[in-house]
Amino acid sequence: MSTNQTTDWNALDTDTFRQTVRAFFEQNYPAEMRYPKTRLRWAEIKDWYMTLSKKGWVAPSWPQVHGGMGLSPEKLIVFIEEQERWGVGRAPDMGITMIGPLLIQYGSEEQQQKYLPKIIQGENIWCQGYSEPNAGSDLASLRTDAVEDGDDFIINGQKTWTTLAQDATHIFLLARTDKTVKKQEGISFLLADFTTPGITVRPIRNIAGHEEFCEVFFENVRVPKANLVGGLNQGWGIAKALLGFERIFLGSPKQSQYALSRVEEAAHALGLFGDQGFVDRYTQLQLDVADLSALYVRFVEQVKRGEKLGPDVSMLKVWAAETFSRLANLLVEITGGSGAVAGDIEVNGKKIDVLTSFYNARPATIYGGSSEIQRNILAASVLQLRS
Amino acid sequence: MNSDYLDTERQDNMRMLAESAQTFAIKVSPLTRARGLRGSASGFDRGFWGKLAEQGWTGLLISEVFSGYGQGFGEMAAVVSALATQVAPEPVVPALVFASRVIENTGNADLQQQLLASIVAGELIPGVAWQEELAGLQVNLMANAVVAAPTNSGIQLTGEKHHVRPGADCDGFVVTAKQGNDLSLWWVPANAAGVKVKSVALADGTSEASVHFNGVMLDESQRLAQGEAAMAAFTRAYDEALVMTSVELLALQKVMLNMTLEYLRTRVQFGKPIGSFQALQHRAVDLLIQQELTSSVLSQALVMLDDGDSNVLERSAMASRIKARASDAGLLLARESIQLHGAIGFTDEYDLGLYVQRALVLSAWLGNALAQRRRYAQIANLSI
Repeated sequence: MSTNQTTDWNALDTDTFRQTVRAFFEQNYPAEMRYPKTRLRWAEIKDWYMTLSKKGWVAPSWPQVHGGMGLSPEKLIVFIEEQERWGVGRAPDMGITMIGPLLIQYGSEEQQQKYLPKIIQGENIWCQGYSEPNAGSDLASLRTDAVEDGDDFIINGQKTWTTLAQDATHIFLLARTDKTVKKQEGISFLLADFTTPGITVRPIRNIAGHEEFCEVFFENVRVPKANLVGGLNQGWGIAKALLGFERIFLGSPKQSQYALSRVEEAAHALGLFGDQGFVDRYTQLQLDVADLSALYVRFVEQVKRGEKLGPDVSMLKVWAAETFSRLANLLVEITGGSGAVAGDIEVNGKKIDVLTSFYNARPATIYGGSSEIQRNILAASVLQLRS
Repeated sequence: MNSDYLDTERQDNMRMLAESAQTFAIKVSPLTRARGLRGSASGFDRGFWGKLAEQGWTGLLISEVFSGYGQGFGEMAAVVSALATQVAPEPVVPALVFASRVIENTGNADLQQQLLASIVAGELIPGVAWQEELAGLQVNLMANAVVAAPTNSGIQLTGEKHHVRPGADCDGFVVTAKQGNDLSLWWVPANAAGVKVKSVALADGTSEASVHFNGVMLDESQRLAQGEAAMAAFTRAYDEALVMTSVELLALQKVMLNMTLEYLRTRVQFGKPIGSFQALQHRAVDLLIQQELTSSVLSQALVMLDDGDSNVLERSAMASRIKARASDAGLLLARESIQLHGAIGFTDEYDLGLYVQRALVLSAWLGNALAQRRRYAQIANLSI
């Protein structure tokens, strides 16, 4: 078992903490799984999850009393930086990053006792049921409904783009519990076990050929009222409150830095560094990435000072995702006639994977609030331009 | 390298300085002053320069050893930014950063004493004559076409420099010259025999100059530095000038964005403020992102300049990086602000044009964004 309950990680100086984390990742994370090209499935990353769990490190941001490391924002940033540095793959982690913190803040004691330990132990895998076929950017218009019936809710409807639902044992979802009020005010936050009768999960294949997200159908699904988190019709506020400082990780420069290094590698193999036209474009993107880091540092500093992030953090997500996308485009362009080859191409003895970045860049500007939604937020809440 | 390195007392002082500089600039340098000076003989006002000296700002960066105030770049940025916000046409960065810092970075104590004291007093406005190409896209800090060569009667300076600011009413020049295979730095008074200044009008109503040195006789006492010391002193001052020009560009960006947002909120068409239209909102957001990128990189650059131990190559890379971002963002803000205003933004009567034209001048000065990115690429290769 872990020594978590007794270790005050925040008392360590940053360097010591960083070295400790780094050493553990370097010694324990499987080398062949570094920098995975796509989201890892539970079967692939389960062993690592359990390794972290045994170490007491699987929930770095949770309070120690719930089995977490209790890291301060500053230390959590170090932890994540080290994960990114070593190319540690992401597990299906909605339990750790979303529902766990939400239950800690809004859940009843029974809910906390029932669910939190099983997340830590890797027994329950959670997925997030927010988006619906007709409720994407306009999430509050969701139509999956939950009707009270005795001690239960009966849920009917459909969720979609549910990441790795096929690996999950549980889903947390937003459902409409009052159709007579303003759309944001009639939504509740519910928990459901996938073994409940009436739930069907259907994986969706994306254009990269992977099944990373799913549709989830609810047909007369009975969940006990004990599965309501927070008050009835309080779901929208709870879901929004969860958008904490973790939002800056959507704007981490790591993805762009990695894509830049792939472009650099390819350009060397292709002999493009003698081509001024290419070098000018490469340098521009190199500076876009460097300047992204400066913007990222600014928000990280804000978090470290203990300040709340404002709506302006949306600009970080826009710039990070769009810079990544420009790099992916450049990789397709510089490989010319081979820009459409599925799998690696080989140039002068070097293997170049052209399309993985291209495919990964597509959802980057869509998930977590599309670039367009982020711009709407910035226009309304930062620039004070009202629609 | 972050703002935590600045102690609270200094941060407080910088905030106070920024406030008093803003108050001063708004009161003493209204936009009507900048407007009125456009196209005048020197393009700026020596009387106003005297007021800067009274405030102590002409000596802000200059060390106490030379009767200055020995403040940092963070403090200087507060003053530069306030003046740029009012599009004041005085050559603050060319004279008080670029030229002064070359002089201060060299080792000629007599010249330093004499020149820097006059600069602090507001009596001397110097410029730097270093650029030899009219339209090059490579930053080349070495002099080639301007040569300091020995003759029977002494050392003689020959050749032509371009893009020298201020382009009129400049009292003297720090000149980069090739001497043998070395770079050498000289102080040449504007009234020295053989110096011919040809002013070139700039977009913003100020001017730059092409300066011709036609066999100007030099005395050893005019030499500021030679060889590696000259290159180091000059590079350092050049990088400092890049960062401080970026401070000006950010100030311009902020005004242009604010004017544009105010317009979007109040201009009504189709029965609504035009800022309610998503197409325009998203364009405004892209301007905000560029402004905030500039601001984030600039804070790091200023900390680096004030850090005496920062690595030379890293400092140069950072300086080119911020000048590239600030220039591109400045020009983007300029063009888009006009577009989002519509025809009114293109009129001389409306103040936006003052900012657009200053942004044009500062983006081009010392090497535009493309030139800076090329310099960055060269430096990045060196440090690999």
